[in-house]
Amino acid sequence: MRIKSAFAVTALLALAVTACGGGGAGDKGEAAKPGEPVKLNFLSLAWQKESLAANKELVEEWNKANPTIQVTYVQGSWDNVNDQLVTQFAGGTAPDVIHNDSPALSGFAADGYLLDLKDKIPAELKSDIPQAAWDTTTFDDGKGNQGVYGVPFLQESQVIIANKKLLDEAKVRIPTADSPWTWEEFSEAAKKMTKDGHFGVAWPMKSPVNKTLNLALNFGGKFFETAADGKTTVKVGPEEREVLQRIHDQLWKDKSADPAALGQGTADPLPAFYKGKFALLPVGVYLRQQVVEQAPEGFEWVTLPGPKGTTTEQGAVSQTLSVAQDSKNPDAALKFISFFLNGKNQAKLAKGDWLLPTSQAAAADPSMTTKENGWDVATASGKSLVVAPFLKVKGFDEWKSKVATPVLQQYFANKISLDEAANKLVTDGNSVLERYQK
Amino acid sequence: MTATATRPSPPKPRTRRGGGGSRRNREMWVLMLPALVPVLLFSVGPLLYGVGLAFTDARATRNRDVSFTGLENVYELFGDADFWSSFKIGLIWSVSVTVLQFLAALGLALLLNQNLRFRGVARVLAVVPWAMPPVVIGLMWKLVYHPDAGILNSMLGTDVNWLADFSLALPAIIVVGVWTGMPQTTVVLLAGLQSVPKELYEAVEVDGAGRWRRFWNITLPQLRPVIVAITSLDFVWNINQFGLVYVLTAGGPGGQTRLPMLFAYEEAFRYRFFGYASMLGVAFAIVVLAVLGLYLWRQMKEAK
Repeated sequence: MRIKSAFAVTALLALAVTACGGGGAGDKGEAAKPGEPVKLNFLSLAWQKESLAANKELVEEWNKANPTIQVTYVQGSWDNVNDQLVTQFAGGTAPDVIHNDSPALSGFAADGYLLDLKDKIPAELKSDIPQAAWDTTTFDDGKGNQGVYGVPFLQESQVIIANKKLLDEAKVRIPTADSPWTWEEFSEAAKKMTKDGHFGVAWPMKSPVNKTLNLALNFGGKFFETAADGKTTVKVGPEEREVLQRIHDQLWKDKSADPAALGQGTADPLPAFYKGKFALLPVGVYLRQQVVEQAPEGFEWVTLPGPKGTTTEQGAVSQTLSVAQDSKNPDAALKFISFFLNGKNQAKLAKGDWLLPTSQAAAADPSMTTKENGWDVATASGKSLVVAPFLKVKGFDEWKSKVATPVLQQYFANKISLDEAANKLVTDGNSVLERYQK
Repeated sequence: MTATATRPSPPKPRTRRGGGGSRRNREMWVLMLPALVPVLLFSVGPLLYGVGLAFTDARATRNRDVSFTGLENVYELFGDADFWSSFKIGLIWSVSVTVLQFLAALGLALLLNQNLRFRGVARVLAVVPWAMPPVVIGLMWKLVYHPDAGILNSMLGTDVNWLADFSLALPAIIVVGVWTGMPQTTVVLLAGLQSVPKELYEAVEVDGAGRWRRFWNITLPQLRPVIVAITSLDFVWNINQFGLVYVLTAGGPGGQTRLPMLFAYEEAFRYRFFGYASMLGVAFAIVVLAVLGLYLWRQMKEAK
């Protein structure tokens, strides 16, 4: 009897456990039953205070106006969104609406986890966003078809944040959006500002790849080329070497760049910047927000446009909203996205994140061109954005973290020569890319 | 009916392998089943599944089927320079942290075993790092090592970027690893020290033994089983370290601190090569078990 009871308990436990395991599917967004509102999960990666407030406010506004489609705000983080999505996609529990950036979409699109929005985007939203921005979210679906896997809404350009006092003291020409510094002028200015233990510039290069690849377009450097047979390989020719060499020269030849900043993340050098340890900080436009919030009283700063090579072009990546392939309510998800990213709301989101809106209506908002906090320079720099060539490269992420990041870190730390760096980027890089082209 | 048929047969002697024993065995297994089922489902099952995945080309994708690829992942692993680099870094990290942790913990345990004032408070303080989650420890040490705002540079009057310097990053995280793991090693060694019979010390004191001889001839041999156990466990914990180093350097700069588990994690969750990542896991498990087995075997042999 006892044995039978024990068997029964075991069987029940096993059933319960199995049921729990299989219950994962129940977490997926399900099609609403008649009379019940559609429920959507929206994974947001907003992190700046104003941006968080803007995101939550818009979700609340939507929920009030649309009782039949209710959106749940789910907070994510840029630090681990990839891990979160890989596991959620594999487990079939991904959110319906996903906030991410365009480099991340390529892999998920090719792996079939994102919905192709090509024929689903409302005409108004489609026409409000320029084609160049749509190009940043257009990818191969892994079967040779091109699709649109996200709605691009915020973009980042590189500007130079400058300590106004040190800039004025150096008596250099102040660059404007119409007449930016050339790289030669930039280097000369940095040299002039280097004195008494202070440096002209700081390059935070903990994650050097996107920054250098985006700036390499100043000289037409693309780093990847695709042959007629469709095979993509790494290329480090004279155009690609220009920006690498110039940054390296500032560090080790002119000694006008602070070597201590090399291993730092983008925002890490700010305390030293406020103390006047260096005068110029080339960073993404969003960093202005932290300067506004954190700079000590009386600290004066200005936003300068990024330097110019043969062109002012910079590679653009976009923040995006996508719909999961597994979403049971893709139409409702798109309706929400259309509301969330209309011109008026994009202006709110752009101001919250201190980034550039893709919406032309939002870009026309007067607050986007005010001189206050460098918005005029930031918005003008958006005109130089072109699709970053690496966006379309399968295996870019692995090339970036396994090959390019260590190689560029070693090169900027003066541990290897430019020739060695170029050789590694190509040889090791091509082995990585081959993994994705089998 | 015959007389013999009605005569009761003598009782069979009960043996361990007899019917009663089998029944008890059955009962034992049945009673263990409720505990075994979750273990099988959540530990053994995924483990076997992982080993199975190691011999496939599994990727995180909906667009292709998983195929059995035999030993392809093994060949790839042997030819993968990143694997060997990560393996080497893992060994340097594990051996350094384990040895330094042991030496520091032994010193601390000997100190805490003395009749000091405030011994209780000192013992509590010594185990504080044990109570801290690895992420908090990582963030705290990041601040200590910060090139501009860090306490270390301000104390030394230097301008070093400890965690981003190619030569200093690994030693810097080894220091953190030693600090983090020292409390549990100290506690175990302290427990070992307290179980050494006082008579042994008294006996050698009668023979005129000094502190060093007492330590060498009594303390260390008496502690040997504890030392074998804790250093073996420390080695396994250290080679499997992930969270602390992920927060401190995420494997950088330039892969100089990419421990084996970070490497396997990147292959699985960053590049989504689940099959290859599983093979890395299997390989690291075999290496750890082999090293550990050898070490234990030698120690046991010596102990005999």
